[in-house]
Amino acid sequence: MGLAPSLLVLAVFGLYPFLEVVRFSTWDWSGLSRPHPVGLANYRELLTDPAFWHSLWVTLELALITLPSFLALSLLVALALEGQRYERWVKGLLFLPGLVTLSAAAVSWYTLLSPEYGALQTLLYTLIPESSPLARWLVVPAWDREPFWALLLVVAFTLWRYLGYGVLVVSASLKSIPRSLLEAAWVDGATPRQALRYVTLPLLRPAVTFLLVVGTILALQSYVAVFLLTRGGPFGGTRVLGYFIYQVGFEQYRLGYAAAATIVLLLLTLLLAYAQARFMEEH
Amino acid sequence: MKNLLRHLFVALLVLAVALPFLWMAYAAFLPPELVNSGDITRFGFSLQNFSALAPEGFWWRLAYSLGVSSLATLLALLTGFPAAYALREGAPLLGLYLFLLAVPAEMMLVPLYGVLAGTHLLGSPWALIWPFAASPFVVFLLYQGLRAVPWQIVEAARIDGAGEGTILRRVLLPIMFPHLVTAGVLSFAAHWNLVLYPRVMTGEKWWTLQVWMADLVRKHPSDWGLLSAAALLGTLPLALVYLLFERKIVETFEGSLKG
Repeated sequence: MGLAPSLLVLAVFGLYPFLEVVRFSTWDWSGLSRPHPVGLANYRELLTDPAFWHSLWVTLELALITLPSFLALSLLVALALEGQRYERWVKGLLFLPGLVTLSAAAVSWYTLLSPEYGALQTLLYTLIPESSPLARWLVVPAWDREPFWALLLVVAFTLWRYLGYGVLVVSASLKSIPRSLLEAAWVDGATPRQALRYVTLPLLRPAVTFLLVVGTILALQSYVAVFLLTRGGPFGGTRVLGYFIYQVGFEQYRLGYAAAATIVLLLLTLLLAYAQARFMEEH
Repeated sequence: MKNLLRHLFVALLVLAVALPFLWMAYAAFLPPELVNSGDITRFGFSLQNFSALAPEGFWWRLAYSLGVSSLATLLALLTGFPAAYALREGAPLLGLYLFLLAVPAEMMLVPLYGVLAGTHLLGSPWALIWPFAASPFVVFLLYQGLRAVPWQIVEAARIDGAGEGTILRRVLLPIMFPHLVTAGVLSFAAHWNLVLYPRVMTGEKWWTLQVWMADLVRKHPSDWGLLSAAALLGTLPLALVYLLFERKIVETFEGSLKG
């Protein structure tokens, strides 16, 4: 009985739309116009659309940079914080960026990190004169012109927002490791490094699996950061699949085409989740 | 030596994470003429940026966004608490909630728009509320909390003749308070931070603070003082709530990850 209201809402706004979107994907439809059935034409067009393939590639690139750095940083920070006096305090701070107003954070990043005239660049040039040889190395990369740096900016923003979450996950798992296990390793003459390598890290595996799944979702969700920071540019260099869908659907008003892309993204996510589960089972 | 490296690493990290906040708080008080001349390292203090916010319609957006997100959160808690209780009692639907938890929100943009397009919800603030009236995340977090509750308490109350409603309100509500607060704050933050969704589903009149702010950046890209003042004030409500409950949130969340 208690489930009824919750299930009703989720069925209407969560599950039913997924059934409907399959239907939309066979329409030529702006969302407001009268739908015009076109069969599989949207899918055929998708397969030959260079913008779609490019955005697929960008999404993959983004995930390949975000995932390892998210995992490595979460582990490193959680291990560095473990047992320190400032542990709780730092964790609280790390969690904050994920909660605060997203577009406000983007405003701050944008003004701080703008190439050439941004606040950080101005500050750097004030501390180190532009003419000194050192200044050549302290230049904020031109992410407004170079797709690679724009992508890194989106990655950095995503990491900044969610690192606290990753650290909490690893930390929770660290704290559940029985102290006696580590003590036994020490008694057996293991160095701290060996204890870490052979006792702690293997026991963190479930946490890492969990983070891998979460990290994939986060990488796929970075389209909001893309919207706020780079709008898919420069030259489509940060147009991830989610942003591609948004642009096609709500800037070009081709909702049927966007629906087809949504289905491809959904299948991809399911495939990825499946592959990850298999990969983790084997290792 | 090794410990020194560790502290240094943490210090650098803290600096990097805090820098955008510090800059936001600093730039909000910069006099516009210093920003225009690029003299941002010279110290100046002005409240001009804050008074410039009112004509842009900042305060109304703030109040409206707070209202919409609060209402959605309240509904999510109201539907989520009984649902979590039913799951804890053994309803075999946990898998469904976990699946919905894993669906990235962007995939919902097109499907939901298509469904809402046929109703009067599209374009009204209700499009920001009803679809969020149930949250798999809230249900999951509360369920994790209920798993830690010794169930004899509930059984004892039941033997004493308490109905399910009474058990939820009188027995479980006080115990679950930290979890409800955590779930509430986190789901409020998630709703508050929607950007593309409200942009697409409602007209400009009903845009939330987030969408409005993203638009402000397009309109005044070089007016850093104004932008930072809006960013600072837009960040404060959530930051304050978080600071108030920080200990509870971090601990409860960490605890729910262990299970």
